[in-house]
Amino acid sequence: MTMSETVPIADASTPTGMVEGDLVRRARKGDLDAYDELVKRYQQRIYATIYHMTSNHEDANDLAQDAFIKAFQALKSFKGGSSFYTWLYRIAVNKTINFLKQRKNKHHFSLNDLDFNTEHNPDLVALISEKTPLREVGLTELQKKLNEALMKLSEPHRMVVVLHDVQGQSHDEIAEIMDCNIGTVRSRLFYARQQLQGYLTEYAKPT
Amino acid sequence: MNQNEQNFDELKKLLKLKQHEVPPPGYFNNFSGQIIARIQAGEAGGRQSFVERLGFDAPWAVNFLRIFETRPGLIGGFATSLCLLLVLVAVFADRPDTASKNLLTVSEPATTDSSVASMTAPPLLAASDSGIVASTNPVTSLQPVATLFGQPNSGSLFQPASFAPVGH
Repeated sequence: MTMSETVPIADASTPTGMVEGDLVRRARKGDLDAYDELVKRYQQRIYATIYHMTSNHEDANDLAQDAFIKAFQALKSFKGGSSFYTWLYRIAVNKTINFLKQRKNKHHFSLNDLDFNTEHNPDLVALISEKTPLREVGLTELQKKLNEALMKLSEPHRMVVVLHDVQGQSHDEIAEIMDCNIGTVRSRLFYARQQLQGYLTEYAKPT
Repeated sequence: MNQNEQNFDELKKLLKLKQHEVPPPGYFNNFSGQIIARIQAGEAGGRQSFVERLGFDAPWAVNFLRIFETRPGLIGGFATSLCLLLVLVAVFADRPDTASKNLLTVSEPATTDSSVASMTAPPLLAASDSGIVASTNPVTSLQPVATLFGQPNSGSLFQPASFAPVGH
């Protein structure tokens, strides 16, 4: 950023500058500007979680929109016992798991493209060039294999892996989102990783 | 646990690939706009379905219903048991009625003649002040009462109708 660029000033009287609590209070009263701001704050994380669970962009788009609309409808029942973020996540997670249960094993991949930075990620470059026995494997092929392996996991196990290893959520947060205790989160994570490692032995050997 | 964490190092590096999967460019530019538009179009605000409201008010009930989704065979069993319960309720609910009917038939001979007469012959022909006879008989109801001189009461509700046959 250059010095000549204008730095946006967060004004507490506009939705952009408001804290989450104020936005939620205003949204509960039907203020759509406030809710628009809440959507903008969490849209990427909610979409990404659902996308990683479904491996399908169109499904993720529909489910993410539905989750935000459902959250708006249910705002009056939001007691504030947890943060809005956690509560919203819980709605999205439940909606996604229900959708996947109904869809059963009819997986239809609609994978997003990898961004430009992928080829510059040192971990991935090293993984492909050194550790992978099939050295000619491309990133896109690896992406497909990884998604296939993830889809073999049960929904709760996949959710834990996505939230922890992909999204970077803590065990505590995951326990709150998934409405279970931390021990369950840890055991699910361990089991899911073991399963994944079994499915991806060619690419991810235990050290 | 540390050993386990180390064992999964390669896998965790591989999972980093997922972070690079991004939606089409500009996808989030109008994402919130679409949601607000859907809310404004009437998808929100009191249009929650019963199941959705139940999900928030009584999550245990939704979990109970989900059992049927995963095991459809249970629906039949549950429905059969409900029907059985209804039949049992109907059977047991009938019993007190029959008992009371029996009691009534037993007690009828004990009633006096006057009470029976008063029940079977209500004062149908009691004249009212306005000259209208109250009766449950549709033919005789609301008929004008003749006065002492054989003329209809002037205060009666109906005028006598006269019909002239066509062609005379």
